[in-house]
Amino acid sequence: MAKTTEVIEVRDVRKEYRNGAIKTDVLQGISLKVFEGDFLAIMGPSGSGKSTLMHIMGFLDRPTSGSCNFRGKHIDSLSDDELARIRNKKMGFVFQMFNLLARTSVLDNVRLPLFYSGLKGKEELELAKRAIELVGLTDRSHHLPNQLSGGEKQRVAIARAIVNNPEVIFADEPTGNLDSKSGQQIMDVLQKLNNQGHTIVLVTHEKYTAEMAKKMILIKDGKIVYNQKVDHRRFAKDGFEK
Amino acid sequence: MKLTDTFKTAIIGLKTNKTRSALTMLGIVIGIAAVITMNSIGAGAQNLILSRVASMGSNNIFIEPGPWSKRMEKGSMMQSMVEEANITSLKREDAIAIANHPLIEMAAPFTMGVGRIVYLDVDKKSSYSGITPDGQKINENNVILGRDINEDEVKSMAKVVVLGFTLKEDLFGEEDPIGKIIRIQKTNFRVIGVMEEQGVQMFQNMDTYAFIPITTTQKLLLGTDHVKWIIAKAWDEDRIDEIVSDLRLLLRERHSIYNPSGDLAKDDFKIMTQKETADILTSVTGVLTMFLSSVAGIALVVGGIGIMNIMLVSVNERTREIGLRKAVGARKKDILNQFLMEAVTLTFLGGVIGILLGLTFSYLGGVILGNMLDLKWSAPLSLDSILLSAGVAIVIGLVFGIYPARKAAELSPIEALRYE
Ligand SMILES: Nc1ncnc2c1ncn2[C@@H]1O[C@H](COP(=O)(O)OP(=O)(O)O)[C@@H](O)[C@H]1O
Ligand SMILES: [Mg+2]
Repeated sequence: MAKTTEVIEVRDVRKEYRNGAIKTDVLQGISLKVFEGDFLAIMGPSGSGKSTLMHIMGFLDRPTSGSCNFRGKHIDSLSDDELARIRNKKMGFVFQMFNLLARTSVLDNVRLPLFYSGLKGKEELELAKRAIELVGLTDRSHHLPNQLSGGEKQRVAIARAIVNNPEVIFADEPTGNLDSKSGQQIMDVLQKLNNQGHTIVLVTHEKYTAEMAKKMILIKDGKIVYNQKVDHRRFAKDGFEK
Repeated sequence: MKLTDTFKTAIIGLKTNKTRSALTMLGIVIGIAAVITMNSIGAGAQNLILSRVASMGSNNIFIEPGPWSKRMEKGSMMQSMVEEANITSLKREDAIAIANHPLIEMAAPFTMGVGRIVYLDVDKKSSYSGITPDGQKINENNVILGRDINEDEVKSMAKVVVLGFTLKEDLFGEEDPIGKIIRIQKTNFRVIGVMEEQGVQMFQNMDTYAFIPITTTQKLLLGTDHVKWIIAKAWDEDRIDEIVSDLRLLLRERHSIYNPSGDLAKDDFKIMTQKETADILTSVTGVLTMFLSSVAGIALVVGGIGIMNIMLVSVNERTREIGLRKAVGARKKDILNQFLMEAVTLTFLGGVIGILLGLTFSYLGGVILGNMLDLKWSAPLSLDSILLSAGVAIVIGLVFGIYPARKAAELSPIEALRYE
């Protein structure tokens, strides 16, 4: 059954940070699975380790112990360059702080992942244009980030995340810095992408936003305290209110 | 990532940070331009001196008082010139004896002095030279007005003077000086001729000199019986070496120097041919060129350090950018290549601009120096200095480009992204 194919498996992941003598146990044994077509929300109070977990799931960081698999590939058996390649081909990232290149046009920002994918220039341009169209920013293609609103910036970030047609899109509090109208647009785009078959991992501390996902987990003190399907799923196109 | 993409990324990186790029390039531009200009000016000075030496005639032999010293070989000419001033070993009779050598066409002694020269209300401090008719011939000096000093006047210590072209203008202006009486250091002299204009030769302007029979200068003006130097002219250029050894033996005999081993340091004179003079001057100007080049080299290194500095700062500024690039799939190598390419591009552009500026400054410097010194200045552009400075710039660009690039590429994407 294709619907239940496993994409990501996290098993007993621990992550600690050492700062001299001070040791912080951020994740203390996290296990979870993400399936094809999932829309998973990771919830938890600020500082609970949501981003840390997402980074490990997205192969941006390595766990202190435990294992993380993507499509059966074990993070420990892959080199940094191999992780980079998987991120480049199979994953897309949206960060809370937008993280756009300053003084660089929308088009070039969106194209950035393709620089590292070995595509031909023409193909690259087509993909970038399509991604920009999908987030509705075609008329802003040649604007610079400082000429855009917060919501527009985040849509550029989403376009960049989907430009390589990734299997999984990771979004770390994508609505955190936005007004509700912009947040609604972002969530609408993410839900659409999920409908088109992209698997989505969303980090948020708002219950309201988490209820737009299909499943949610709640992290507290480095452990999962809650993991279940969203009962009454919300849809961004129906309105967004906090 | 393809090379063209890397290049494109580097160009975009440089363009989006124009000020930083311009400052970086400036260091390289100044360094290279300085090396080329300094080198050209040094080489120009060398050419100039050598061409002057060549114009002295290759069968001329120079005899100066004082022993050959190691310092001479190292090119410390000034030092030896100061020391020579007090050495009295060379006499006019030595010149006469040298002239009697069968392979010598003629030999002429010279003296030099400085004194007040007065005509009516014009009172000038001026240099004079004690000469003989043969000396004038060897130096190819000709009069344009009146006549030159003759043998009889040398023999009789006549109080006659031939004026250099500029000196005549200074003393007489448009007036005809022939037959007029001028005073040189309390003695009256009759002007019998004016020399033709010569311009600067060997960095001396003989046009400001007064020319007086050598015997007269010795007796009346200097109160000495030695001479400053002797120039002998050989009949046959090919036998110069043979003549030089003959003259050494002759002068040792005349000066009662027992020196069977031929140790030049034991002599009280030194003999140089045009070739040796040229060698010494070449080493002098070589030192000058080296000095200029090392100044320029320092400029180049400082420029390189500037590049490294700016690259390091830019890594800090751009750590988040690097994190982002790595997050979306850039490998260590891609980051490294991008920074390297930025450094190489800057260095290359800086190199080209630096070379063009260097060539321009060399040319302008030559024109200005030529005008200032009233000389024909040929500043050769040496391919060596261009290749050297461009090579150094490229190496600096690579080395200083790699180091910060490595630092940047080592960061993990998350570390870099979290960077504040
Ligand atoms: N590089 C690091 N060094 C030390 N502590 C860190 C580092 N990264 C994150 N932390 C700590 O880990 C905890 C979890 O961080 P994070 O995953 O960003 O939380 P969340 O995203 O849930 O707000 C925080 O207390 C944070 O201070
Ligand atoms: Mg977070």
